[in-house]
Amino acid sequence: MRGLTFLAQPRIGRLAGQFGLAFALAMAGAGALLYWQARAQIDDEVETSLRREQARILVPGAPHDTASIARRLNALTGGRVISDKGHMLLAPDGRAIWGRIEMAPPLSLPLPGFTDVRFRDGRPDWREGHALTARLPDGARLVIIEHSEAVENIHAMLPRTALILVIISIVVGSGAAWLFSALIAQRLARTMAAADALARGDLSQRIPDAGLDGVFAQQVAGLNRMIERMADMVHSQRQFASHLAHDLRTPLTRLRALLQADREHTDAAGRQLLERAERECRSIIAIFDALLRLSEIEAGRHPTAMAPLPLAPIIEDVAETMEPVIADAGSRLEIGALFPATIRGDVGLVHQLLVNLLDNVALHTPAQTCATISLGLAGDEAIITIADNGPGIAEAQRDRVMQPFERGAASNRPGSGLGLAIADAIMRFHDGSLELADNGPGLAVRLHFPLLAAGVTTF
Amino acid sequence: MTQKPVLVVEDDPIIAGVICRSLAAWGHPSLHALTGREALALERESAVGAIILDRMLPDIGGIEILSQWRASGCNTPVLMLSALGSVQDRVEGLKAGADDYLTKPFDDAELEARLAAICRRNQRKGDDLAVGRLRLDNAAHRAFLGDGGIDLNRKQFSMLAYLMRHADRVVTRAMLLENVWGYAFDPATNIVESNLSRLRGRLQALGCDAVETLRGEGYVLRSAKCGA
Repeated sequence: MRGLTFLAQPRIGRLAGQFGLAFALAMAGAGALLYWQARAQIDDEVETSLRREQARILVPGAPHDTASIARRLNALTGGRVISDKGHMLLAPDGRAIWGRIEMAPPLSLPLPGFTDVRFRDGRPDWREGHALTARLPDGARLVIIEHSEAVENIHAMLPRTALILVIISIVVGSGAAWLFSALIAQRLARTMAAADALARGDLSQRIPDAGLDGVFAQQVAGLNRMIERMADMVHSQRQFASHLAHDLRTPLTRLRALLQADREHTDAAGRQLLERAERECRSIIAIFDALLRLSEIEAGRHPTAMAPLPLAPIIEDVAETMEPVIADAGSRLEIGALFPATIRGDVGLVHQLLVNLLDNVALHTPAQTCATISLGLAGDEAIITIADNGPGIAEAQRDRVMQPFERGAASNRPGSGLGLAIADAIMRFHDGSLELADNGPGLAVRLHFPLLAAGVTTF
Repeated sequence: MTQKPVLVVEDDPIIAGVICRSLAAWGHPSLHALTGREALALERESAVGAIILDRMLPDIGGIEILSQWRASGCNTPVLMLSALGSVQDRVEGLKAGADDYLTKPFDDAELEARLAAICRRNQRKGDDLAVGRLRLDNAAHRAFLGDGGIDLNRKQFSMLAYLMRHADRVVTRAMLLENVWGYAFDPATNIVESNLSRLRGRLQALGCDAVETLRGEGYVLRSAKCGA
């Protein structure tokens, strides 16, 4: 299917046309060359034969006056018929002295040497011919004409042959080019299908190399080697995260166990110290958990229950949960217009996304802030907007706050510093994007999801 | 809870020591296995009331041991402990037959509450949601104390239902997040605190002040305070 859509792209069609035209031009060139070659060959043969004939008539040493030549012509042609050549003797004023051939104007009196002429010898139609003319000492001219039958045939055939040739070369050229590009597109489509799967995080994909040879086989082998290497790297990265989790969690568990164990035997000051140490331990664990969660989402390791997901009920659910949290922070959460829209998503991740972003409102805006969450449609996107009238984030800082461990300049609030980075990772996981915009005043966070279906749908 | 001993399968001596000491403090005898093989033998020889099973062991993995037990018809409640905390790891543990899954590092209060919950899991079930005179109307999402009734939103209703199902036992913040919200992530916000204080406010309007906060441990619904 993918291969077919690729073939249907106009670029391939234009390429085929260009190839066809180039093919036709090349064929036309070759045809012209052949024609001139054949023409030269024929002319050459005719001229040799004419010269021989002239030498037979104008015998060296014999008298070359008009009367003698006429006699010689009578002697040569009188006995037998010379079918392929015509002879004429013309007076200086063009009047025929000997012979019955009529020359078409304008060459009724041909110049000495070889000329192309049109003539007729008793028949009604003019014929093409090649003539050799010699001037006799007394001013008369001897003209020997040979009918150019071969040249006439070529000229008769030429337009039709040329047309057929051009049509065939356009069809064959375009067809070959189309077939060639279709085959290449088909091979590219396999590579692209694998690349798409890889982009989605499926590292088990390899490009099939069945039926390929030459540079295509080499290219596929090279790409597969690259994918193999990438998969190895990602695998060891995941192993690393998993081992890190185990190796770090175990000592943290012990540390916490030790901090809790002997509290009864310590004095008040010592107990306070232990409690502080335990709090720090707790926040290390919290950051560590968030970091693992981030790498889990980014590596696509989250066991995805991707399913059609109507967004409005999720927004209502999360808003119900987060409204008391925001109210306890002294602010207000309102639900705006919720246009029914369905996306393809992971319900757990979308919950975490919205909880994170609404928690940011509770943590990073002053009391009396009012935030609104709404859902709209734009083209083929479903857009959730969380807009507040708080202090906002300066444009120059917006890219920075999306990075792990970065926070807004004004913020000295608690948190792992990973909230927005996790939200951004969740959006990328859904092939969507997170946009921070000015709400004038305040911040607008826009979540762009690829739309699966608009309106109320039942699945 | 049960007087049968709790089998603790944990290869780290410090962590195992803390768990066994905590169990003793709560009045439970315990058995300790350092390896998977030892755990299989101890479970065969002694009648144990519950099992705390570490997922990563030097010889046989926790998941495999658990699968063997479940395949042989052993129904003892199992709380799986693991340093692997991803959603996938958790799902694997629960699929293998664990009754609950606790990620290291953990509070001893969390451990106690979860152990108590899985040991009671089979005892309090069904739709009979009434503690003393406090009862829930599932269809109307209302709570009643005698004749007086209040409306609850979905989250308040689910929280109260969960607290009532675990009446007189500690319910931790993480247990509420997992079971009321179904969140597999730690939202690191005051979701539980804020929503619970709303619920408490609603119940107080009904004249019931049964939900108690235990600092650093969790929440308890006292059945004694649901009576009058």
